[in-house]
Amino acid sequence: MADLEIKDLHVRTDEREILRGVDLEINRGEIHALMGPNGSGKSTLANTLLGHPSYEITEGSITFKGEDITESEPHERAKAGLFLAFQYPVSIPGVSVANFLRMAINAKREEPIQVKEFRTQLQHAIELLDVDKAFTSRHLNDGFSGGEKKRAEILQMAMLQPDIAILDETDSGLDIDALRTVAEGVQRLHDEQGLGALIITHYQRILHYVKPEFVHILMDGKIVLEGGVELVERLEREGYDQIRQEVGAGTAGAVAAGDSSV
Amino acid sequence: MSESGGASNGAQSASTNGATPIQVKAGRHREATLYEALHGAGAGDGRTLAQLREAALRVYESSELPVWRRSGFWSTTLQDLDLEALETSVQEDGVPDVVTRTLPSRPRAGRIVQSAGAVVQVELDAELAAKGVILCSLEQAFEQHRELVSEWYSKRVPIDRHKLEAANAALWTGGAFLYVPHGVVVEQPFEIVYAIDRAGVAQYGRTLVLGGPTSEFRVHEYELAEDFEGQALHAGVFELYLQDGARCRVAQYQDWGRGEVFDVSTRFVGVGRDAYCHWLPALLGGHLVRQHLELAVTEKGGDMAFRGLFFAEEHEHLDVFAVDLHETGPSGGDVHWRGTATGESRASFEGLIQIDPGAQQTHTYLQIHSMMLSPKARIDAIPSVLVSADDVSASHGGTVGELDETAIFYMQTRGLDRAAAVRVIVEGFFEPLVAELQDEALEELVRGRVAEKLAAAREDIETYATSR
Repeated sequence: MADLEIKDLHVRTDEREILRGVDLEINRGEIHALMGPNGSGKSTLANTLLGHPSYEITEGSITFKGEDITESEPHERAKAGLFLAFQYPVSIPGVSVANFLRMAINAKREEPIQVKEFRTQLQHAIELLDVDKAFTSRHLNDGFSGGEKKRAEILQMAMLQPDIAILDETDSGLDIDALRTVAEGVQRLHDEQGLGALIITHYQRILHYVKPEFVHILMDGKIVLEGGVELVERLEREGYDQIRQEVGAGTAGAVAAGDSSV
Repeated sequence: MSESGGASNGAQSASTNGATPIQVKAGRHREATLYEALHGAGAGDGRTLAQLREAALRVYESSELPVWRRSGFWSTTLQDLDLEALETSVQEDGVPDVVTRTLPSRPRAGRIVQSAGAVVQVELDAELAAKGVILCSLEQAFEQHRELVSEWYSKRVPIDRHKLEAANAALWTGGAFLYVPHGVVVEQPFEIVYAIDRAGVAQYGRTLVLGGPTSEFRVHEYELAEDFEGQALHAGVFELYLQDGARCRVAQYQDWGRGEVFDVSTRFVGVGRDAYCHWLPALLGGHLVRQHLELAVTEKGGDMAFRGLFFAEEHEHLDVFAVDLHETGPSGGDVHWRGTATGESRASFEGLIQIDPGAQQTHTYLQIHSMMLSPKARIDAIPSVLVSADDVSASHGGTVGELDETAIFYMQTRGLDRAAAVRVIVEGFFEPLVAELQDEALEELVRGRVAEKLAAAREDIETYATSR
């Protein structure tokens, strides 16, 4: 059984059904890319995996490390080892990055983290993300630039050490330097800590810096195509429209859905 | 948090260089439109303490309990207060537990504690005493430093606007007097404490603080009560006068506990030539609290930061009238308040900027931010600007916010449960002001109290959030 198993997931909001039967398996140490055009349901999947209250699961299940978490509270999923790097990180005025990190780390532990241990970890993460030390005393995401917000997301990921991280369009709005820093950060966490990642993206850019082993293409709420990194190159050449025509998304359904070894 | 009229959007701005001298924001029942700066009753007319007490007593005996109304929907009434049943006691034994329990253990310049009607503890750093610093009961100050005290006592605080102000002027006992002489700089705070440890007490607290020229010091005032059953009253007057170049930071920690404590108080801070005051009341509890707070620049070059926070809960009723008064210019002002309410509490904050004729080159700003945490709680924030000078800038703004569900989800995905996330948001909301206390022990005390109140209101906050 895979660490994260998504089975026949159907999700709707008040207005409409967005995911129409998604199957996906992700293990620790694997890097997956989920690609798809705007409106295909990528962010819905990301938010649903962490239990966002606005999305209703009408069918299917999410299992994490053998536990059914379909109905779990978001913080329980986080404690179990799931992480979501937000597309639009929220600012938390009045709380410094460092203090927030300490709270988040302590939320996962029985005993509060020792000051020294925390400092060591923080120092490591700061170097990894190439941020200033002063960065951690600023209020979380408050007045941060787009690049700083994304760095802060990966900084949190590095500190919280999840088993599986979902990165929701982390590459959007980043200049090339910030993109490289963020992507290399993800790659190193994968290499050093065995992080498993689902990198959700509209573009191919970030995948030049983080190499996915598995690529899934989401269209109209279903995974329509799966493969290895060659799929990224094909997408780059042909674009989504070509693929859409080929798979007949929305009518023919998924091709080899749920089998990530295609 | 949603902006309901940010600093520039929807705020009234009065920055004039034309001939129109007075701007009054519309609103018939608003207190500000009827407002006159506190004019005082003491030194101005040369009456002795005994004469002032006698005059005040006549007002006290002939007047009814006050009612404050504004805007048609708001009133603060004392009709439930059984004043006759309360007593002033001048015999008290020792420092009440609530004081020992609450006050942080930390270095201090001095401390004076009044329990009910009696001063029960006075201590002052010996080195400071040697430099001429005085900290004693106001009664004792009238005996031993009559000239100094008489010059300032009730200089800007009236004795006859309403029954309880008159009661204070007529009946006060104990009291606190602090004098920091010319050029004396004191690092640690002076603690002035008023405590009520049982029901049935009427406490008429009276504080007078004088900062001599170029003195620098801090005052931490505590107002505390035990959680008793039944009524008690604190009718207080606080006066602080800063002379040329003096600098003072005043923090007020008010928590009257869960008893039925009524607090009707008047506070005046006068900022003299080139002097500076940072004033931060933290109003954290009381059955019914009415505060008239006035921070006035009375001479050229005075500057002030007027901060405040409040947290009303359960059935509490809080009514704050805060005045940022500029009697002369150039002068500076900056008013920034934040408040929240849970349960079925009511909080009203009226903030007024008043710039008197001739107070040219005054620059001031008033902002009030409120956060709603409960469906039945209510906060009214009413800013006003009265400008009678033409070379000034004065404006106001504010926000009304609710809990941001996106922020809560964000923090939940980091492992914080919902209650912890709410706590982070509300503490973060107050943090810009709490951090301005610039005193770790006091900051921790305020943060801790806010956290307790949030924990107590947890269910209520949850119901509200999920009902939206």
